[in-house]
Amino acid sequence: MDQQTTKQWAFFRRKHTRLFLVLLSALMLYMGTASLMNFQTRSLLGIGSGFAWMATNFVPNQASLSLLPAILYQLWRTFLIGISAATCAGVVAFLLALMGARNIGCRVTLVRVVIRGFASVLRNVPIVAWAMILLFSFKQNDLTGFLALFVMNLGFLIRAFIETIEDFDGDKVLALKATGATYGQIVVQAVLPEVSVPIVEWLLYMIENNIRDATLVGLLTGTGIGFLFDLYYKGLQYGAAGLVVLVIAILVIGIELSASKIGRVIA
Amino acid sequence: MIQVTNLTKYYSADKASLADVSVTFQPGEVTAIIGPSGAGKTTLLRSLNQLIRDDLGTILFNDQDVRQLNRRGLKQVRRKIGMVFQNYNLIEPLTAIENVLHGRLGEKGTLAGMLSLYSQDEKDQALGLLSEVGLGDFCYQRCHDLSGGQKQRVGIARALMQAPDVLLCDEPIASLDPKSAMVVMDILSRLARTKKMTVIVNLHQVDVARTYADHIVGINQGRVAFDAPVSALDDWAVTQIYR
Repeated sequence: MDQQTTKQWAFFRRKHTRLFLVLLSALMLYMGTASLMNFQTRSLLGIGSGFAWMATNFVPNQASLSLLPAILYQLWRTFLIGISAATCAGVVAFLLALMGARNIGCRVTLVRVVIRGFASVLRNVPIVAWAMILLFSFKQNDLTGFLALFVMNLGFLIRAFIETIEDFDGDKVLALKATGATYGQIVVQAVLPEVSVPIVEWLLYMIENNIRDATLVGLLTGTGIGFLFDLYYKGLQYGAAGLVVLVIAILVIGIELSASKIGRVIA
Repeated sequence: MIQVTNLTKYYSADKASLADVSVTFQPGEVTAIIGPSGAGKTTLLRSLNQLIRDDLGTILFNDQDVRQLNRRGLKQVRRKIGMVFQNYNLIEPLTAIENVLHGRLGEKGTLAGMLSLYSQDEKDQALGLLSEVGLGDFCYQRCHDLSGGQKQRVGIARALMQAPDVLLCDEPIASLDPKSAMVVMDILSRLARTKKMTVIVNLHQVDVARTYADHIVGINQGRVAFDAPVSALDDWAVTQIYR
């Protein structure tokens, strides 16, 4: 074997060994955790029958279709709560992101760190935990659902908006500063037009996400479409519960499609 | 007129980006600042309206030392000093006329500026300036649809909207093709002569400086290596500036 072939052989042997070790580690990790949890791998074989049961029972039937008006009404309310939570959080998040962004934000580092830390706390507490915490403070009503979504949206949007604003070219700020423009004028006349497209896209994504999360939040706070799902599910009305899932999926896909269309129009 | 005396700026304790720079910029003249990359041309230019803060010296503009002004005073001075940038620094999603009107922001109250409440006179003036730089037909075109040369002309119109006494141009033709570069330099040269403006241009191209400038300031390692009318810029002087 010449030197070139030996080098080639060694290279591919190293590559294959690495791949084998990665697969082996993944398998051992699964076996280790499964044995600790007493999980029987063969129970996965019954997964098909589980899906078959789901497909049979969760398919909306004639009886569940009569509940459609009530379901649509709750879906509409959930949709409105999702939009209001995202837009309110968007306004607050934009103001905080302006202060927290390195390029045009507050010159005091501590303020920027506090804003980022605040956003991180809001974001990293799971929405389920927020819903439970708020449930005890604000009881079972639409406001609790709104607040849970608002808090999560705020944490997420502050981070997203800070990154968007920091991508904005600082030299453009300099150009307006050179005309004698004030900070407020620079924000409205330069920053806002430049970042408006990504900001609207983030808001649309947040609304779409809120409909999905609203189901979980509603389930916990006893409001909106989530509550209805919980009610039907626990009342063994699986067809109606399936109908709830179906209309949520249709709405989310609808929002997703319109969001990309709106994104293209404003870009 | 701008009179700079002993201007010094340190980037670190032992490294000066501008060292004891003294130079005078006359109205009605195009002064080209030339020199190698990193010589301190941009630092000098941006010190004149204090976009970069310097450490020592005086910058006299309209009988006041720009370096000693408070924020309010500095804002007033900046209104009288227009600036043109290499990368245009336009707000690209906005139209050409909106960008030109930004030149009036310094004259407006914060709220009026935020809400784009411009007078009819200001709008007419912006249209006039766009026509003056040859962009009368592009007023309502978004800037991201314009070519580099057109963007730079919008940038010049924005600076002119300030009705400035001084025009600072930081490498205005560095991103342009030769034809667009000539158009831009023609405009700058015409402004100096017709409006008696002090035009200061940072340039990399010595031949362009020779064609369009009345006065040359050569900077090397933060120091003035040449300061004379363009007629005195011979090959030996160029070698000294770029050594």
